[in-house]
Amino acid sequence: MKVGFIGLGVMGRPMAGHLLAAGHDLAVWARRPASAAPLAEKGAAVCATPAELARHCEVVFTMVTASADVETVALGPDGLREGMAPGAVLVDCSTISPDAARRIAAALAEKGAHLLDAPVSGGEQGAIDATLAIMAGGEESVLQRVRPLLECLGKRIVHVGPNGAGQVAKACNQMIMVAAIEAAAEALRLAAASGVDCARVRDALAGGSAASRVLDVMGTRMVQRDFAAGIEARLHHKDFGIALEAARQAGVPVPLTASVGQQLNALMAQGWGKDDTASLLRVLELM
Amino acid sequence: MKIGFIGLGLMGRPMALNLLKGGHAVTVWARRAESMAPLLAAGAAAAASPAEVAQGVEVVISMVADAPDVAQVMLGEQGVAQGARPGLVAVDMSTIAPASAREIGEKLAAAGVDFLDAPVSGGEVGAIAGTLSIMVGGSDAGFAKVRPAFEAMGKNIVHVGASGAGQVAKAANQIVTGMGVLAVAEAFAFANKNGVDPARVREALLGGFAYSRILENHGQRMLDRNFKPGFKSWMHEKDMNIVMQTAHQLGLCLPGSAATAQMFNAMVGTGLGEEDSIAVLKLLERLSGQEH
Repeated sequence: MKVGFIGLGVMGRPMAGHLLAAGHDLAVWARRPASAAPLAEKGAAVCATPAELARHCEVVFTMVTASADVETVALGPDGLREGMAPGAVLVDCSTISPDAARRIAAALAEKGAHLLDAPVSGGEQGAIDATLAIMAGGEESVLQRVRPLLECLGKRIVHVGPNGAGQVAKACNQMIMVAAIEAAAEALRLAAASGVDCARVRDALAGGSAASRVLDVMGTRMVQRDFAAGIEARLHHKDFGIALEAARQAGVPVPLTASVGQQLNALMAQGWGKDDTASLLRVLELM
Repeated sequence: MKIGFIGLGLMGRPMALNLLKGGHAVTVWARRAESMAPLLAAGAAAAASPAEVAQGVEVVISMVADAPDVAQVMLGEQGVAQGARPGLVAVDMSTIAPASAREIGEKLAAAGVDFLDAPVSGGEVGAIAGTLSIMVGGSDAGFAKVRPAFEAMGKNIVHVGASGAGQVAKAANQIVTGMGVLAVAEAFAFANKNGVDPARVREALLGGFAYSRILENHGQRMLDRNFKPGFKSWMHEKDMNIVMQTAHQLGLCLPGSAATAQMFNAMVGTGLGEEDSIAVLKLLERLSGQEH
């Protein structure tokens, strides 16, 4: 299939690589041409603008940072919408607000094109291993058309609901995950303050009801005081802005999320935004 | 002074009336024509648009709901900027985000209009009595020019700093009043659950370090179970959202404000939005099984 990819960062590059390796006809666009070079070497075509990319492709993936980035690439001057044919599909794997996803879907629908909001969970390792969890929002028939492509990227592909529903699921994912990181940090801080070996506590917990992937991965980073990213905390901070705004719009109280959001604000103030979110432990050590 | 006034709701109407009482010539505009009637009866002139208001006055004041409304009134089609004469000072007394105020100020400056952000505290009661606290951000010259108008509407008038500084002060005000209302409600719920009369507790506390206007006034209304606004909890929720969004952008840790904002969020979600923010007491009672 003729597939386009925009956003060749730590997540996007391996994802685009999988599509190419699966034999798809891949075209890419990147703000900085250097980002496109590794894929161009493997045979991807490099386009001058998102609009030109869209003219060549039946399906375009985006994997960028914020709502505004997706809106610019999709709807801005020389954006995807200008080149998309009726029936073309934009699969946005970025984590953005459900509202923004619905707005973009409506703007594409005016041209007969479709959006699938398809944020992912699993991090850089999941992207490299093609084991991402993919949460899709959009029409069932659109998902069916792009499912073979998504299967190149991840194992668990769930159709959550209409446009925006994928982003709602991702916000839920981030609420649970980062709250669990904070819980791990608080528990290990208590252990340390009580003069108990954190590594042993983590090992003891791994066999019981508190076992989790977060405790395993992030807990280990905390024990080893390895705060090099992993997942840059600034992205979780951004995602918490999305989750809290969505909760506000729904009139749903999220006291724990709000509280963890403040710990993330403190983390940002310390200049740790490009470090791993395990740095929430270091925020507690300031209190 | 010739003053234009835009936005004649719960707050704007008495504020504009006080300008008239202060001897100023007032021209008004409101989205709904019937909102203008009480002002016209009191001697104000009517205009057909914000631009038309701006044409004939030295100072134009807006008192509307939210940042998009301010932007529309000031910068939109038929907005203030389109009718402005050289030397006009535009004043927004609504509560909006500091960043939004700065942005509107910059755009008005580009159109040759000086802009002050001048949000108020004191509620409808203060607006009627002309005793509002007014927190002003913007230029010295603009502040000096508008001061007589402020004095007709308020008592404690402080030039806080540059553009946006008034809104920063107002957000700080909402942090203190938001947490203050929650603190008094929690203290009363605590007394109640312990079988102690909260009215006596209030009386005892009024003499000590816990004294505050909120304990005195809001506390009394809680005891009277008078939840009529006052200040609607959905508006306090909106203001706390300004606080929390600004904190998010700045990387600022505000745990108490965050918890308070979620209480207001829960109130809006469960139909208490139209009641005064002291109805947070009802939410606490619901959570602790103290239903009245």
